[in-house]
Parts: sequence; structure tokens; C-alpha cells
Amino acid sequence: MNAVTHDSSLDADARAAVTIGRPADELRTLWLRPDTQSRIWSHFADVTPIDERTAEWVAHGPAGGEYRWRTELAAGGTNELRWSSSDGADVANAGVLVFQPAPGDRGTELHLDVRFDPPGGPLGQALSKLFHLVPREIVLKALYKFRALALTGEIPTTDPQPAARKGGTDR
Amino acid sequence: MRALCWNGVNDLRVETVADPEILNLRDVILKVRLTTTCGSDLHLIDGLIPTMREGDVLGHEFMGEIVDVGREVTKVKRGDRVVVPSFIACGQCWYCQHDQYSLCDTSHPKPELQEPLLGYPTGGIYAYSHAFGGYAGSHAEYVRVPFADTDCFLVPDGLSDENALFISDAAPTGFMGADFCNIQRGDVIAVWGCGGVGLMAQQSAMILGAERVIAIDRYPERLAQAEAFGAIPLDYTKVDVIEALKELTGGRGPDACIDAVGMEADGTGVQHAYDRVKQALYLESDRGAALRQAMLAVRKGGTLSILGVYALMDKFPLGLLMNKGVTVRTAQQHGQAYVPRLLEHAQRGELTPAALATHRFSLEESPKGYHMFKHKEDGCLRAVFAP
Ligand SMILES: NC(=O)c1ccc[n+]([C@@H]2O[C@H](COP(=O)([O-])OP(=O)(O)OC[C@H]3O[C@@H](n4cnc5c(N)ncnc54)[C@H](O)[C@@H]3O)[C@@H](O)[C@H]2O)c1
Ligand SMILES: [Zn+2]
Ligand SMILES: [Zn+2]
Repeated sequence: MNAVTHDSSLDADARAAVTIGRPADELRTLWLRPDTQSRIWSHFADVTPIDERTAEWVAHGPAGGEYRWRTELAAGGTNELRWSSSDGADVANAGVLVFQPAPGDRGTELHLDVRFDPPGGPLGQALSKLFHLVPREIVLKALYKFRALALTGEIPTTDPQPAARKGGTDR
Repeated sequence: MRALCWNGVNDLRVETVADPEILNLRDVILKVRLTTTCGSDLHLIDGLIPTMREGDVLGHEFMGEIVDVGREVTKVKRGDRVVVPSFIACGQCWYCQHDQYSLCDTSHPKPELQEPLLGYPTGGIYAYSHAFGGYAGSHAEYVRVPFADTDCFLVPDGLSDENALFISDAAPTGFMGADFCNIQRGDVIAVWGCGGVGLMAQQSAMILGAERVIAIDRYPERLAQAEAFGAIPLDYTKVDVIEALKELTGGRGPDACIDAVGMEADGTGVQHAYDRVKQALYLESDRGAALRQAMLAVRKGGTLSILGVYALMDKFPLGLLMNKGVTVRTAQQHGQAYVPRLLEHAQRGELTPAALATHRFSLEESPKGYHMFKHKEDGCLRAVFAP
């Protein structure tokens, strides 16, 4: 692929990183709380925890499309979390979140990598049509929301925006 | 409630919209007492800032009374009269803790819209396009204020609504611009623009100990206000600004130049004609006459403090800055860092922001207020709305 024209936001393998001024163990605990998962992925999918390690995902595409899968958390090291979709997923995917100490007093770096494998080939472009979001946006937004939750206990929102946003078009 | 909504370029209407509600535990709802126009709104109204949506409620400079409080709000309460900076800041992230509140890491609900443009999302701001968060603005009867404990500042008894109002935006922006200049004894500061922001920068430079402040604009009533604040007025349509500044500084040039004009600078001559045509054709988003002039005027090794809002200027004479060893400081205002101090300066009468409130309207008349403000009719410096 031509390095100059390559648009990595369309890769089906999406990565993003954020730094959060909190210790890794605290962040890990927060990440694993069932309600955290449903809150940070809400722009992309409804996540319903089944048990400690398993969750049910339903992503909504444009025009009423629905895509379902189940994820299972793998046993892993203390500085990372790994999960992947079970057999029969509508859109197979796998994720890894690595916790690294940030330099100085900056806290902890979170590196998130989610690889989607949509039917019809691993093309992010197909995926973004499926979900109406490019993979990079899915991942970045989840991390950003997680950082907000970790630092402030809330996720910034204007939704449902009661003040005159009529869902009108951008101008 | 009633609110002033943006419906497209130069299309503002007062409409009935849903009342805001508490959405997060640290939100409050403010009953707006006063809300005002800002030069930044003109960039939105003129269609120079993308990602506005039909129906967006305008307004980001305001003060009011708290009428509803989220469960985790501890420092302010119902009935408090407060002023709120235009950028929304959490108080808990690294940026907020380093006094860079407009860069807050957690207050932007739509970071995916802004990250591709800037590399990293900034904090959210009221009514400044969806790329800046899509928060509803204050030109309304009520406005929702997140992170109330960090963002609501109690207005001391005895300080008028008019004086408190501009401590939301024009005053902290101007003060930050002067603070960027690291003013030393004997320093001469030149300020381009005598709108609300420029005038507040001029008064702030004096508070911070400037020897002399020079104010540049073309509107006589604005220059007169600058002079009333103690600045030396310069009409750029009547004098050669660069020569006049050399004359006023013994050939040294101003120690620091503050740009309080932004992307819709007026100018004279060929460069201005070129900028206007390019902007009209959407080949360029910025007309940068004031900024270019400030870069030329600033002394060697001096400071250029940029408060005016710019997009992606395509012709930028970087060589002037490089060869002259100029320090550039710029930001969207970090209001929360300055508001407590500004309230004190205002109480002592050293800062007199109420002077900006030249025209007052009801909310229903706000489109008319914007028209006057934009065209600077009848000496309008800021149109203030009382919903
Ligand atoms: N950094 C921030 O956080 C922040 C906050 C508020 C406003 N702003 C920006 O600051 C700028 C000024 O805001 P304002 O509310 O005072 O606007 P304003 O429109 O009231 O005033 C701008 C003034 O600049 C003058 N001007 C135009 N061209 C000039 C030139 N070539 N030389 C000298 N003066 C010139 C105009 O005559 C006008 O008086 C805007 O770009 C606004 O978006 C930035
Ligand atoms: Zn403003
Ligand atoms: Zn913050």
C-alpha cells in the first residue's frame, strides 16, 4: 500500500492510546466493571455482561442492521487484557488492552488494539459501512470515554440533547 | 424555553426549544441572567467554522443563577449567582491541574470529530460547533453547566451582573493574553483590536504593570474606549501602524504584541484584497492582516500573543518570527485559572468590564442585537441579552 495515501483510520485493525493519571491496578479494576463496558462502548454497541468473563454485544448499523457476537476474556498477564469473539460472531473481532507506566507522574498509558474481521474480507471500509463508524473512531472514543470515567466518574455527553439540536444537518 | 438558534449562515432565529436537564451528576442548570455576543460568534454566523448544525443554540459568555443541582455538586448551590467560563473543564485531568483548562482531557463529548483536525481533542465549549463538543449555548432562558464545582464562580455581592458577565470570556481571554506577555518593568504592549477581548487585554496589561499600552483599531468609539482605559489609540486607516509603533517605542518596537482580531481582520491595500477574494472563494479560511502586522511590528526577541481565532491560514510568514527570535504564545482561554483574580480586580475597580455592555436587548430581540454587533452600528461594542 502506498504510504502517502494510506488512511489508517480505515484499517480494520484499529489502535489508539491514552494516558490517565491513575495507577494501573485501579484502571484495570474499573475497566472490568460490567457497567464500565456498557458505558464506554455505547456509541458502537450495546454490551450486556453475562458473567465475569463473557459479554454479549449487539452493534447497530445504518438502516436497522444488527450484528451480534459474544466475547470471552482470555487469561492473561497483569499488564494486559485480551478478549475475542466466540464462534458464530456476525463480525469476528479480537481486542487487547495493554497497561504501561507513563513517564514521570503521568500515571498509566493504555494501548488499545481491536481487530475486526468482517464478513467479506478484513476491510475497514466495509466495516465502516456496516457500523457507520470507522474502526479508529470506535476505539478512540471508547478510550476517551474511559479516561473521562476514570478521572471524573462521568462521561461527557449532550445526549439526549434537550436544547434544540434537532439532529439537523451540518452546515 | 426560548433560545436563539443558528439556522445557517447569517440566519439566526429565536425559537422554542426543550428545557435543558441535568444529565451528569455534577451538572447544574442555570437560569441565565445575562448573556452576550462575542467576536467568535461572528466566525460561526459567517460560516467560517465547520460542523455547526441547524438549531444549535448560540452563546458562550454568560452568568446566571443556579436553579437545579446534580447530586454530586458540593461547592455551589441553588440560588447562587455565578459566572461560568466558556470552556468546560473537569478540574481533574492533567491539563486542568496545570491551569490549561481549555485543553481539558475529559469534557468533549465528540472527540472523534476533532481529533482528526487537531491531533488531539480539546475541551468542550458551549455553542461553538460540534467539533468543539456540540454543547447548547447560553442565549436561552436556561443553560446546562457540567462540572459545576470547577466551572461556576460565585459573583461577590456588590459586583453587578454587567461586570460579572464578561469575566466569563472577554476578560479572562484578554487577561490571559497579557499574562502570556510576561510583562516586565518598562514594557510597551501593543494590542490589535479594540473589541471586548482587545479592550480587556489592554486593561489587563496595565494591571500587570505595562509601562505603556497601544491600542489599534479603526472604529472611533472603540478607540475612544481604549483611550478611556488609558491606552494610546492608533487608527490603522489613518496612520502607518508600523511607523507609528516605531515612533512610540524609540525605534525598538513593542516588547509584546497581542492579536485580539482573528480570522476576519479588516485591512488596507493589496494583501487585504487578496485575502478577501480567497476567503470568499473558500480558498482560504483566514484573513490575517492584523496578525501579519503584529509579526512585523514586534521587537526582536519579543512576544507575540495570539488571542484571535484562526483556522488553517495558508500564507504565514514564519520567517519573521524565526529570524527575529519571537516567542509565540496562544490558546483558547483558560478562564478557570483567572476568574477568581479577575473578580477581585473588578471589585476593586481596576478592571471595569461593564464598559463593554453598550447595548442591551431582550432575548426576543437578540437577532437584532447580533446585527448591530456585527456591523458595529451605533457604537455597539457588545450586545447583552437579558432572557
Ligand atoms: N482565545 C480565546 O479564547 C478567545 C476568546 C474570545 C474571543 N476570541 C477571539 O478574539 C477575537 C476578538 O474578539 P472580540 O470579541 O473582541 O471581537 P470583535 O469583533 O468585537 O472585535 C474585533 C476588533 O478587531 C478590529 N480589527 C479588525 N481588523 C483589524 C486590523 N487589521 N487591525 C486592528 N484591528 C482590527 C475590529 O475593528 C474590531 O473592533 C476574535 O477572533 C475572537 O474569535 C478568542
Ligand atoms: Zn468568546
Ligand atoms: Zn479537565
